[in-house]
Amino acid sequence: MPRPRFLLAIPAWAWLVTFFVLPVATVVYFSFGYKPGLFGTHATDVLSLDRYREALSPTFFTTFINTLRVGILGTLICLLIAIPMAYWMAVKVSPNRRVFLLALVIVPFWTNFLVRTIGWQVILAPEGWLSGLLQSVGLRDGPLAILYTRPAVLLGVVYNYLPLMILPLFVAFDRVGPALREASKDLGADRWRTFTQVTLPMARPGIIAGVLLVFIPLMGDYITATVLGGARGNMVGQLVASQFQAAQNWALGSAMAVLLILVIAVTVLVGAAMAYLVSWPFARHRRLRLADLPPAEART
Amino acid sequence: MSGSGEHRTLTDYLLYAWGVLVFAFLFLPIVVIILYSFNEGRLLVAFTEFGFTPFRAIVERPQIRSAVIVSIQTGAIAAVLATALGTLAGVAMARRPGRWVFWFVLLLLLVSVTPEIVDAVALLPWLVFLGQDVGLGIFDNGVVRLVVGHSLFSTAVVAYIVRARLVGLDAQLEEASADLYASPWTTFRRITLPLAMPAVLAGGLLAFTLSLDNTIISAFVQVSGTTPWPVYVLSALRSGLRPEIAAVSTIMLLLTLLSLVLVWLVLRRAGDSDTQIARTMTGN
Repeated sequence: MPRPRFLLAIPAWAWLVTFFVLPVATVVYFSFGYKPGLFGTHATDVLSLDRYREALSPTFFTTFINTLRVGILGTLICLLIAIPMAYWMAVKVSPNRRVFLLALVIVPFWTNFLVRTIGWQVILAPEGWLSGLLQSVGLRDGPLAILYTRPAVLLGVVYNYLPLMILPLFVAFDRVGPALREASKDLGADRWRTFTQVTLPMARPGIIAGVLLVFIPLMGDYITATVLGGARGNMVGQLVASQFQAAQNWALGSAMAVLLILVIAVTVLVGAAMAYLVSWPFARHRRLRLADLPPAEART
Repeated sequence: MSGSGEHRTLTDYLLYAWGVLVFAFLFLPIVVIILYSFNEGRLLVAFTEFGFTPFRAIVERPQIRSAVIVSIQTGAIAAVLATALGTLAGVAMARRPGRWVFWFVLLLLLVSVTPEIVDAVALLPWLVFLGQDVGLGIFDNGVVRLVVGHSLFSTAVVAYIVRARLVGLDAQLEEASADLYASPWTTFRRITLPLAMPAVLAGGLLAFTLSLDNTIISAFVQVSGTTPWPVYVLSALRSGLRPEIAAVSTIMLLLTLLSLVLVWLVLRRAGDSDTQIARTMTGN
């Protein structure tokens, strides 16, 4: 009896369809419905795009823009911190110590997300030790007032997602290997030129992976904004949650969830297009065709 | 720092300093939590004096104990389930390739990139629907709900890891086994599974840690009475954080470290390089 090739994948497939595809599809369906009266959560007898219009009304639209701003800014800051860090780990550190340093990056990543964030709440609290220290040194006149602001959320997301940027970049820099760098040096390039024209372009897959690994979960973040942001540092994740929990308006919450996914997808696509457009002229400019070179005697 | 005895330049020192700073940044809040778990004060934020009262509170307060037990229980069940589903899928992807793999990987990819909050709000009405409208009473059980929620992402992670391991190994042994008239089931049990074992174990431990860590889905699908640890912490945020939270977190941190070391050892013995291990552990 011939068996289908995907036989062994059927249990996982069925499980994911039942508890991922169908529920998410239901949410998409709910998003076209409405909230019937005070006690109902959703109704779908009349379908419309009204919930999307509502989700994009000025009150909620600001939150979408804020989330996008935190997402893009946070990803860029992670990238700026991680490039020298990963380069250092992959190129400058001896292989024996590298294992230890990798483990050190992984430990915070696997520490409970919520607990790490609470750690920052303890640090940033107006009555906490950092606030006291800054005041006694004379750097601040009053207690620290950063907790429950947008900068605190930005600090929190950069902290929480930084390992996700460092690790793929490390893998990418590690893969370039010393041979190409030495070749570049032998051909007369200084360190900066070697880095910008050999190492960094070769590490592009790692940069792309890191940016996606940070940006996508960051956009849907709920915990960091809840712990460090308070009312002023609102993000879309909290908006969705509050529609489902406090407001009991599943239709509107669903529309927001669908919009969140769309915003992430569109930003990733726009970002990819922009990165392509920016790098294209450079790639053309730098490409060297052997036929274009003057003959050897003319060059000397 | 640079190998082969070259002289160190200013750039080297700057990079070194940067690395030290980033590590300080990464560990600052973790160190703070560990230190504050010895806080005798009433509130977590204000450190009064050093003591072990918060650790004693774990044993004495039934709510905390029950939350930790629910977390470990859920973690174990979710890990077993995700490992079983993910291993079978990973084996199929590696050994029975075809056009179906593309669509299946697409599904796994969707599962891994969907924001957790979307999973959470989608699962809540769905589980209520299954439990009350369809009448499958099992979905009213708190632990079952948590296990379902925690198993989704983990299944995808285990499938990736197992697939990656088997793709790197030649299928000759399995072919030989089939040539020697072993049934497919025997070949799977005696050849494929032992070959994939390091990845299976690593995947299982990762699934366990992921479940211990899960907060968002848990907060939505949980039933009162079976509150897992992170959701307990989340609700404590509103009523004021006490030092016990830090104490339990310290213990959970030790538990996580232990399972990470285990994963590391398992993969190490299987011959993975450290870079490969690091990639496996971050799920990419």
